[in-house]
Amino acid sequence: MQPILTIDLTTGETGVIEIPSDWQRDYLGGASLAARILFDAITLELDPLSPEAPLLFLNGPLSGTSGPTVGRFVVCAKSPATGLWGESNCGGFWGVELRKTGFDGLLLTGKSEGPVYLFVDDGEVDIRPADHLWGQDTYTVQDSVNAEIKGRAARVLGIGLAGENLLPAALLLADHGRVAGRTGMGAVLGSKLVKAIAVRGSHPIPVADAEGYDPLRSAANRALKTDNFTLTLRELGSASAADYFDYLGEMPKKHFQSGVMEGVERISGATISETILVGYSACHACVVACGRVVQLPGEKHKRKGPEYETLMGFGSNLWIDDAAFVTRMGEICDTYGMDSISVSNTLGLAFTLFELGILTREDTGGLALEWGNHDIVERLLHMIPAREGFGAHLAEGARALGRRHAAEDRAVQVNGLEVAYHDPRGASGMALVYATSPRGACHNQSDYFLVDIGQVEDTLGMEFYERQAGAEKAANVAKHQDWRTIFNSLVICYFGNVPPETVLNLINAACGLDWTLEQMMLCGERGWNLKRLINNRLGLSRANDTLPKAFLEPMPDGGSAGYIVPFEEMLLAYYAARGWDWETGRPSAAKLVELGLKWTLEPL
Amino acid sequence: MPSIFPSEEWLIELKDYINQDEKYAHIARNWEGDLIFHIEPTGALVEPLCFYLDLWHGKCRSIRMVPAGDPTEAAFDLTASYENIVKVLKGKLDPMQAMLTRKLGVKGSMPYMMRNVPTVLEFVRCVQDVTDKVLGD
Repeated sequence: MQPILTIDLTTGETGVIEIPSDWQRDYLGGASLAARILFDAITLELDPLSPEAPLLFLNGPLSGTSGPTVGRFVVCAKSPATGLWGESNCGGFWGVELRKTGFDGLLLTGKSEGPVYLFVDDGEVDIRPADHLWGQDTYTVQDSVNAEIKGRAARVLGIGLAGENLLPAALLLADHGRVAGRTGMGAVLGSKLVKAIAVRGSHPIPVADAEGYDPLRSAANRALKTDNFTLTLRELGSASAADYFDYLGEMPKKHFQSGVMEGVERISGATISETILVGYSACHACVVACGRVVQLPGEKHKRKGPEYETLMGFGSNLWIDDAAFVTRMGEICDTYGMDSISVSNTLGLAFTLFELGILTREDTGGLALEWGNHDIVERLLHMIPAREGFGAHLAEGARALGRRHAAEDRAVQVNGLEVAYHDPRGASGMALVYATSPRGACHNQSDYFLVDIGQVEDTLGMEFYERQAGAEKAANVAKHQDWRTIFNSLVICYFGNVPPETVLNLINAACGLDWTLEQMMLCGERGWNLKRLINNRLGLSRANDTLPKAFLEPMPDGGSAGYIVPFEEMLLAYYAARGWDWETGRPSAAKLVELGLKWTLEPL
Repeated sequence: MPSIFPSEEWLIELKDYINQDEKYAHIARNWEGDLIFHIEPTGALVEPLCFYLDLWHGKCRSIRMVPAGDPTEAAFDLTASYENIVKVLKGKLDPMQAMLTRKLGVKGSMPYMMRNVPTVLEFVRCVQDVTDKVLGD
């Protein structure tokens, strides 16, 4: 692999890190390799927003190779949202362009004296003043930076007001609205006073066996292009299965409190396609093109359309069925650089607490938080990134808002990260996914809700269990997490429904390996456990493997009515499958030896 | 005596079953769309096989085998190997699993299909209910 560029923002010094070949083999790249690189630096004492905190942007061995859905990169650090391992990945074109500069990654440390933006132009690094860019939104800053760069346009990744104001939900945005949304990576960049990172390169993307790789990637793309899941995602976007999720009681409504909602079909992917959709957008070399381009009624210009999480977050979660309104709320989140999942989930909590009388107009600055009130939602969205009035309380996220009002148990979050919009009562595998994810409640360490409706890879030894089954599916969940850890290492988008054998062949050709499926899955398991070890060092134990109270109570109505997730039994079976110690919540020594992680035993 | 899949008798039995099934009639009450199933020869099936169903508002209006070369078109084209069709018929392969794991090809309006997954699942239940024996058993 290519080296990693390092920039110390305090001193302005740059350098390179060559990654040892055994690390490349053991962790492949992306998030797992990032965990290995940052393993020693992420400590309990480290303030994630301090100059000492490292922030690592990293590609995988498939990033930018024009393989199936591989135009992604990861960004990793200690999360200011959770205090745990922070990881977020992003599509678009930025990561690919970074690889073309001759570096597979970029490691930032230190803190600039004043606002700056970075320009990595092939092998050259320029740190430029950005006082005049501070305050710009995430789209404007891309144009502003490019206006200052001579020659071909660069790809620009930036933060908005949320990142500048260090919100735990601050994201990074590049290109046409592609985001590294979760765990507050935008705040980490903001804490270093870096407004944006521009990259431009002309280096070829390295592949170990190009002759072997090219026909494999072509065949994989051809197969993917006509795959059912691809066809559905292209035509309907990521909310393609919204109607089905609603039927199953898997789609949250009214902050996870209701199983039915009149008019909910108006915010499905199918409705978007039939009403406001005018085009598609795609990441680098992607044949899926899940991105939506929409035109709202009465408008002439086109906008980025909402994906599933934003549709549910600002739709059914807040008792709203207006797709045009949700589109605009998603856009506001993007321009300010805020994660739409965390922000909408926190708003849902605020509305819940107001309904319960725990929050009053005195707390909200006179605002009546009534379900379905569009104006209030929009007003709050502008107050949050500015930390204005009640917005300052919302800005700290759901866990903090709950704590402030002695109602933490009402917050639908795990370890500080707000839950995504897949209810475990409708797809029980998500209970374990949320509880054990290394970055808090998250659907991008395993999208097991799709396994619960049938996306079962039997060549990996996975089995199909009923969507509301219990402990019997625990080992299956662990296996799927390992599989998705491989995706996050390569870095492949989960929307690429690529068979395991194809992924294996691509890895072998791109990395010069001769692995079996078992070796590939062992690599995934290694990455999952390494992140767990980092979190253990940060104080995480079995007590953290929990679910919010909302998921341990039955839904009153809808497709999952009456079902209670048998969480304790599931977790016990999961620990057994993982080889984790029930008392400490840590991987057992035997498991670490099996995974080639014996070297971690001493620091622990 | 129950008919064997695939056969003309089985198709007639399926039509009758769908048309008397109250649950299907309710869930599929808004469904408007005909289907053609293309079954690729694997296992006990040595020739490609194709049949047509016209499903409308919770009822099956017509059903028939489609001979090779017949120009019949339908709103949805479904393609699977005989082995996988048999797995679905015997409840060993979930229809959504078949769709998501590349075992069942679908051509037609995806918005319509995704809005009507419950109808699809009810249809498959009816198909499973009438199938006691398949070619190759």
